[in-house]
Amino acid sequence: MVIAGRYFDGRTSAGAEARLEFGADGNVRVYGAAEPIAAPLAEIKISERVGNITRRISFPGGGVFETHDNDAVDQARESLGMRGGSPLVHWLESRWHVAVGAMVAVVLVSIAFVHWGVPAVANWAAGVMPAEIDRSIGAGTLDVLDRVAFEPSELPKERQKQLSDRFVTMTKPLDDGHEYQLEFRHGGHIGANAFALPSGIVVMTDELVELAKSDDEIISVLAHEVGHVRGRHALRQLLQAAGISSLAFALFGDVSAISGVLSAAPALLHAKNSRDFEREADAFAKQWLRENGIAESNFDTILCRLDDSHGDADDKDDKDDFDYFSSHPSTTERAQCPKEEPEAATEEETPVEEEAPVEEEMPVEQEPPVDTPLQE
Amino acid sequence: MNENPYERASPASPPSTPQPASRELLPFEFRGNGGEYFRIWIVNLLLTIITLGIYSAWAKVRRLRYFYGNTFVDGQSFEYHGQPLAILKGRLIVVAGYVVFIIASNRFPIFSSLLALVLVIFGVPWIIMRSRKFQMRMTSYRNLRFNFHGEFGGALAAFIGYYLLAVITLGIMFPSWIRKRVQYSLDNAAYGNQQFSFLTGNGVYYKFCFITFFLGIAVYGGLFVVLKTLFNVDSLATDIDVMANAGIVGWVLICAFIVALLGVAGYYQASAANAAFGGVQVGSQYVRSNLRAWPLIGIYVSNLFAIVFTLGLYYPWAMVRQVRYQLENTAIDSDGNLEAFTASSGVGIDAVGEEVGDFFDVDFGI
Repeated sequence: MVIAGRYFDGRTSAGAEARLEFGADGNVRVYGAAEPIAAPLAEIKISERVGNITRRISFPGGGVFETHDNDAVDQARESLGMRGGSPLVHWLESRWHVAVGAMVAVVLVSIAFVHWGVPAVANWAAGVMPAEIDRSIGAGTLDVLDRVAFEPSELPKERQKQLSDRFVTMTKPLDDGHEYQLEFRHGGHIGANAFALPSGIVVMTDELVELAKSDDEIISVLAHEVGHVRGRHALRQLLQAAGISSLAFALFGDVSAISGVLSAAPALLHAKNSRDFEREADAFAKQWLRENGIAESNFDTILCRLDDSHGDADDKDDKDDFDYFSSHPSTTERAQCPKEEPEAATEEETPVEEEAPVEEEMPVEQEPPVDTPLQE
Repeated sequence: MNENPYERASPASPPSTPQPASRELLPFEFRGNGGEYFRIWIVNLLLTIITLGIYSAWAKVRRLRYFYGNTFVDGQSFEYHGQPLAILKGRLIVVAGYVVFIIASNRFPIFSSLLALVLVIFGVPWIIMRSRKFQMRMTSYRNLRFNFHGEFGGALAAFIGYYLLAVITLGIMFPSWIRKRVQYSLDNAAYGNQQFSFLTGNGVYYKFCFITFFLGIAVYGGLFVVLKTLFNVDSLATDIDVMANAGIVGWVLICAFIVALLGVAGYYQASAANAAFGGVQVGSQYVRSNLRAWPLIGIYVSNLFAIVFTLGLYYPWAMVRQVRYQLENTAIDSDGNLEAFTASSGVGIDAVGEEVGDFFDVDFGI
């Protein structure tokens, strides 16, 4: 088989009109160059085919035969039974039905990846990482909050001690590498709330203690917060954001013009993940209550009362909210509110706060949710 | 194409050597097409996703080979020789460094900030130097490799030193900084053993930078004046019809403003590309670059809209359009001696290939 092309010896840029022959004796020869060129089939390299770009057949001495007759080269390869290269990839790339199939697959795989893959991988990766990592994520957060939001607690010391003791009794047997610690603060405009830092510090406001009608109610809230720490939700959130950014980067990384549009994606999913984590923490709290002989209704009661204390401005009709927007599941889903508190059936209003900071670059370093308030 | 579209627009000083009558313009051409690239792109995407990103290094090689291999001048095409594993290695180093830095910055915030500053000052020029070396050495034309002889010191001076000068002089030396960066990349490049020369002088850079600056001022100033006028008119208007009219005028104004700003951006982009590529001399060959502001902006804007409205599917066609416009407005002003270049070491490309095969033969680019 003879193929037409040009031969370049690699010493100068001069090329010569040449012909390449795959000989029956297993040698490949080039005719037309200044000197006769020949090499055994095993010593030449044929460049992989991409589209219809110039094919290069390299000889041991550094010479290269270039041809545009890709099909002839492929035929020769096939008839000589040559392996290697990636003819399969070229086969995929040269068919429209494959392209359409690939397109559908990319969309489906991306959705599946975002919905199941990323959370699963993040969960696994978090399990592998030591608990010390958690301590570094939210370090300094409490200092910042103390400066901008909180005031020192006004609860009597004995009361603090009483609650701290119950908290220690709850967390001591967990033994999961976290150093649990209960902190009291005066919430001010934050009101009745509690949240956990990834390191194991749980902060509770005086207002929440006052809102609760029994210690069991308080302890059920603390169990929910411990659920966040134990489930390592901050770390997982961080890992998930990184995973989603990687996907967005893989898809459109080199289109600088639309990276701004893309940076919204992790923000949308941030809210969805956050609700999944709330459900997980709820489940942990209820299970812990069951196991320790405390009525689960304590959790429902305090949740509904909290909802009341916050949710005066709730829209009654946002049930149809796109599921990907709000950071907490609705209270109706989370708790059975007693009938004498009809207000409690309202939904939370949160979507406005979920706008992520739009960054110029790929938002790999999306801020992790260092605090996971029980309510917003 | 008309007689000689490149001559007028070339910003480079005219070649000092007397030109023989036999000089001719050899335009670059791009022989790929959007449909073909679409299929390569979507298969790349799918394989990248299902291999959790590992394939992206192979995808990059296929993408660059497609674009290099379809770029022709004087009937011969370019070739990209980058190896996927070298690219994968570069990416793994970057990711590992990033993870280490994130952890470190949580543990030792102040130390990490200082470290980040040092990394930016010294790391960025180093990475640019390594990337240029990789890019040039992995490119061949007529079976002759390009090369890059730039050193770290030069990169540090061009990218950091001149940047500081630009800051200290309150931006007056900004054009020098732009030019130094281009000069570092081009002056140090070579084709075979023929070093490139970068001919575009500071005058060209200062001219188009200041024109851009004053055009920008004029656009913003114009908007300010018109707004002020309109605002006064508008504030007097209580009648709803007048308001509606003001609304339309407002929209027209916004559109005019955006178009004017894009025009300025296009002028800058086209001028910068012409100044850079149009200043390249390789032996007795001169590159001519003749990009123009409005066609360039037309392509950018229509590409952006098409990509957004097709949810990304138009992307491959957009890339091809953009590359084609740039290449087809670039040419080599040649004395016909494109075949007279020789390899740097006098031996074949394999030696060069081995020489760069050390640990840091990695590609940090995207």
